[in-house]
Amino acid sequence: MRSIRLYLYGIPALLVLILGAAFVNATFLSVTKKNEMSIGTLGEPSTLNPIQQADSAASEIAGMMFNGLLKYSRDLEIIGDLATSWSLSQETTFRFQNHEEAVKSKDFLKSLLPSYPAWPVTGMEVEGDQLILHLSQAGHHDSEQIFKSLWDFNYNPLPFPAGEKGEKPRLFLAEPILKFTLRRDVRWHDGAPFTAADVAFTYHAIMDERVASPRRSDFELVSSLTVPNPYEVIVRYKKPFSPALASWMQSILPAHLLEKVDPAKWPEVYNRHPVGTGPFKFSSWKTNEQIRLVRNPDYFLGPPWLDSIVFRVLPDPLTLQLAFETKQVDFWGVQPWAVKGLENDPRYELFSAPGNMYNYIGWNLRRPMFQDLRVRQALAKAVNVPQMIKYIIYGRGVQSNGIYTPQVWFYDPKVRPLSYDPEAARALLDQAGWKPGPDGIRVKDGKRLSFTLLANNGNEVRRDIATLVQDDLKQVGIEVKVEIYEWAVLLKRFVNKGEFDAIVLGWGLGYDFDQYAIWDSSQTHPEELNFVGYSNPKVDRLLSDLRQEYNRSEIIRMAGELQQTIYDDQPYLFLFVPEGTSVMWKGTYRIRRPGPHPGEWIDSPVTMTKAGWSYDMEWFYRPEYPPKGKSVKSSTPSTASTDSRSVTP
Amino acid sequence: MGSFIIRRLGLSLVLLFIISIISFFIVTLTPGSPYPWGELNPKISAEVKANFRKKFHLDRPLHEQYALTMRDLFTGNLRSIKDDRPVMLRIMERLPATLALNVTSILISLSFGTLLGVAAARYAGSWQEITGSFVTFIFIALPGFWISYLLAIVLVTTFGVPILGTQSYGIDFPNPAAEWLDRLWHLLIPATVLALGGIAAQSRYLRATMIGTMREDYIRTARSKGLREEVVLYKHALRNSIRPIISGIGMLLPALISGAVIVENIFAYPGMGRLGYEAVLERDYPTLVALNFVVAALVLLGNLISDILSAAVDPRVRLE
Repeated sequence: MRSIRLYLYGIPALLVLILGAAFVNATFLSVTKKNEMSIGTLGEPSTLNPIQQADSAASEIAGMMFNGLLKYSRDLEIIGDLATSWSLSQETTFRFQNHEEAVKSKDFLKSLLPSYPAWPVTGMEVEGDQLILHLSQAGHHDSEQIFKSLWDFNYNPLPFPAGEKGEKPRLFLAEPILKFTLRRDVRWHDGAPFTAADVAFTYHAIMDERVASPRRSDFELVSSLTVPNPYEVIVRYKKPFSPALASWMQSILPAHLLEKVDPAKWPEVYNRHPVGTGPFKFSSWKTNEQIRLVRNPDYFLGPPWLDSIVFRVLPDPLTLQLAFETKQVDFWGVQPWAVKGLENDPRYELFSAPGNMYNYIGWNLRRPMFQDLRVRQALAKAVNVPQMIKYIIYGRGVQSNGIYTPQVWFYDPKVRPLSYDPEAARALLDQAGWKPGPDGIRVKDGKRLSFTLLANNGNEVRRDIATLVQDDLKQVGIEVKVEIYEWAVLLKRFVNKGEFDAIVLGWGLGYDFDQYAIWDSSQTHPEELNFVGYSNPKVDRLLSDLRQEYNRSEIIRMAGELQQTIYDDQPYLFLFVPEGTSVMWKGTYRIRRPGPHPGEWIDSPVTMTKAGWSYDMEWFYRPEYPPKGKSVKSSTPSTASTDSRSVTP
Repeated sequence: MGSFIIRRLGLSLVLLFIISIISFFIVTLTPGSPYPWGELNPKISAEVKANFRKKFHLDRPLHEQYALTMRDLFTGNLRSIKDDRPVMLRIMERLPATLALNVTSILISLSFGTLLGVAAARYAGSWQEITGSFVTFIFIALPGFWISYLLAIVLVTTFGVPILGTQSYGIDFPNPAAEWLDRLWHLLIPATVLALGGIAAQSRYLRATMIGTMREDYIRTARSKGLREEVVLYKHALRNSIRPIISGIGMLLPALISGAVIVENIFAYPGMGRLGYEAVLERDYPTLVALNFVVAALVLLGNLISDILSAAVDPRVRLE
């Protein structure tokens, strides 16, 4: 009996004792400030292999460990990373009846060149019945001009038979050639030198079916990749495709470690403890807890200032906030409703910028009622977007004016968004023949102006949008039925089949100006992304011209025209671009980053750049661990960040 | 007894087969597809998707997928769609943390539940007991996430103690004892939250059985012999009321490894619940199928064990 009572009272008493001791212990522990950055992430990355990942949690972590050949600058210009320089040229090939014709055409063109200095021809040669031009610029435009001149003077090139299915025969072959010169001072984290063989290996790995890389689409137009010497890479494309340049920001994998390993074994031998070239080296990964990186002392731009970075997986947003408030993590992505409370608090530094995403309502243009432009314009004017911004995202956002978001470099701010004007909306609907019916809902030919608006479950912003739209449209005599479905159901039953009236969605598309997949009239089949069924020949032309254009200012011009044209057509009701806000305890970090000249370092507080506040994260340092052991030359503050100041040791 | 065990094992295998079919189809027929890189992604071409589906046999008819999944499960080649690692490895990786959490929480709910149950039976009907019952009912009714959040906010903002993960972050421990106590602390908090419902249920259950037992003739006999109330209570009543608990221990086997989704998420505890939850969200079929299979197998095994245990402690039970 004694023993029963001993257990009965003893075990609970012991447990209470241990709990008490553990609690007292926990209150006495204090965080020692290490030279370490702590970042909280809601999701755990699937893999740290940069060619097998596409989730943001993974790319943020991998970005600290890897480099691509190119990268974005603070101002979103493409600059070299592992490549010191690169050049773009092109080979354009014309085909003729026979060798003699080709030679004659070559002589003719040669005589023509002095009168056309704008043609970027650097050389010509004849091979069999083909004339090959070497151009110092890539793109379709120049080759088209040359083709026209040949044609005008009766040197008639023959078309090339269509290569791929569904393609038209081509008048000439235009094959852009990208040439990269690589840095010679880069070493992998295990000490092996980085060479062009690694670039070639990465490309072949991405194309390898066994790897099932999500990056493959970026490289499908590459016809060959050659390595003339260890520090040079030449990539040849099947046709002009300008978005391909940005794809070389792809992180490069180490050939010497993976070349001889079957990709099926990568998850065990590499993906969870990768070796890269970046400022930080992999240290450890505790599943569902944390991933730790440590400083790479041999980083080619110089070792970073922090000893280590820890990415802590904290799946619950509220506890992530608690972790930030107790300084267990250094940054916190603030929800719009919480921004106001923190904004004027001197203990915090806030970084806000329009996000890379816009919300919209897609009208299914296969439905007769949405085919009338006047109706779509009326819908846009009847919905009070500023009020939406005010009440749904607490004013933390801007009205969308089309397919691009404000911080991308090809965004056109001149496209004026339609303003809220219910009177004009009513007039437009009257004009279109939709007259108010007995129940207040407009009617035309016996059909009521009524449709179903879909949104996905679990996304409160979209649910609220649907509710406000329903209310706004009721005011002008349009009936909206809102239906909410689980995301997977929404896609499977409605979006993928193109069977819906209207749908609330959002696009977050990064820095790519190419939106062919979303707007081209050929992309309207089931499971394709032009699910609203939009079709405009002018847009189709612009889309295809845009992806063949390499000139930055031309891209900006054409992208602006595209943005305006699509906005005028109102296939979507473009709603708003929410702002993203991150917060840091004041003064936790400063930045000292390499300046434009070797040996020059620029010191500044953490500031917002076009590429985001965390652009220079590898050069963050804690003021209590000031950078040392490196001579800091004074420099003039760069124009990009007015508040940066130079430091002399 | 031997023939009984063999028969039960045979029956369990048949059941397991049926369960595996049902769980496979429930998992795969759920809307959505396991493509990890987003459905509406203009960067992903149809070829890339097709290639991915081929790699994980998703292009085959469902019955073939089932056969392939089961083959891979038994040969240890079943790989997660998320990170392409063997599913069993992913499960084993979380096993230690999960076992620690669940063993602790079961220990807490059994010990406190028994203590409270005995007390409730002893003082049944008194105002203290009624208040106590009221409080236990509140604990049964309260949702776990609410208690967890409340506890998290109070502990973190009022006392400033860390609660996330399995260990405090950014601390140089002065001695190993402090480090171990810290680990225990991170274990005890979610375990206590998990145990609250168990304590309440356990105590109510025991109270009911004990009140029934207390009306038995032998208890009256014991009392009339002049035994002290404690002896009557602990030696006679409790012992005879404890059989349901013992036979229930077998049923705890699956609970040892099945996770607690909400509590694990809130306290960022790396257990089995998060594995399953993330697998559902990502439509990681192989992980889900393997998890279901393992838990189903443990349930069947637990049933068998509890039958055997019942026979062992209670001579009236015969296994035929």
